[in-house]
Amino acid sequence: MAGEAPQYVAARVQRALAEDERTHELGIRVDVRGDQIFLRGQVGDEYRRETIAGVAGEAAPELELHNEISVVEVRDPGEEENL
Amino acid sequence: MKVRIAAVGDIHMGEDLRGRFRPRFAGIEERADVLLLAGDLTRHGTEEEGRVVADEFRDLPIPVVAVLGNHDYHSDAEEIISVLLRNAGMIVLDDQATVIECHGETLGIVGGKGFGGGFAGKCASEFGEPETKAFVRHTKDIAERWRVALKETPADHRVVLAHYSPVKDTLEGEPKEIYPFLGSYLLAEAVDAEGADLIVHGHAHLGCEKGLTPGGIRVRNVALPVLGRAYGVYSLKEDLNV
Ligand SMILES: [Fe+2]
Ligand SMILES: [Fe+2]
Repeated sequence: MAGEAPQYVAARVQRALAEDERTHELGIRVDVRGDQIFLRGQVGDEYRRETIAGVAGEAAPELELHNEISVVEVRDPGEEENL
Repeated sequence: MKVRIAAVGDIHMGEDLRGRFRPRFAGIEERADVLLLAGDLTRHGTEEEGRVVADEFRDLPIPVVAVLGNHDYHSDAEEIISVLLRNAGMIVLDDQATVIECHGETLGIVGGKGFGGGFAGKCASEFGEPETKAFVRHTKDIAERWRVALKETPADHRVVLAHYSPVKDTLEGEPKEIYPFLGSYLLAEAVDAEGADLIVHGHAHLGCEKGLTPGGIRVRNVALPVLGRAYGVYSLKEDLNV
């Protein structure tokens, strides 16, 4: 059997992140390069960042995972815009 | 006095984020006259998460007007979530209008989730399988309800509050392949037909803040990851006819 194409692996992980009830996360970019998988995007806190990595790891256990997701900072509102 | 609109969307709250936003909204009454929440207030759309959102925005000193997003529908609890938010003093719009008094002027807000379908020339149409027709029909029905709501809501200022995007300008940064799931031009067309001062939306976490409808109405994507701040504030031009 030929190895699974990286595009299918990435699609499977992305689908898992969206559909798994622990995550329901649609905004994460998933890239597979060789035997490595990269996750990028922004989430609300560290707990979600770790949960997403866990679900992605289960969906593609054979790959080395790089969790490049950042936690979104909620800064103060700042200047108003005059329309 | 100018009417100042504060807006944010996609706060995706859950028990783990309880209390995260409340401190950031302290003093909002000095910066804005109304707060608009542009949907995806929860992560999984559960009743428990709805309670977290309700507690977070309960009894703010300015009116809070919200629409729900696709995440808030995921667990089929959208009606319970709406009730929880209303019981906490918020106004929840589902393709309806509300009118708020600000400094003696009226601000009409038409709000609803919106839906997808894509943008002019590159969009789904009501043709073929029933599933495709139902998808497109849902967006058309929503756009028509917004048009009617705008027509029936004369006010000094009018703002449209949505979750999905009416334009592709504010999707810049998202993969083009998913644009049809991020919004529909039918929404912009309906608002352009009746006129408004501003449209705010969320949903496109990777998009950008600023855009325009074909008719020249300002559009602002206020998804939290896009804003990177607790809320944006947009002040409308004074109505000199008042
Ligand atoms: Fe969202
Ligand atoms: Fe959304």
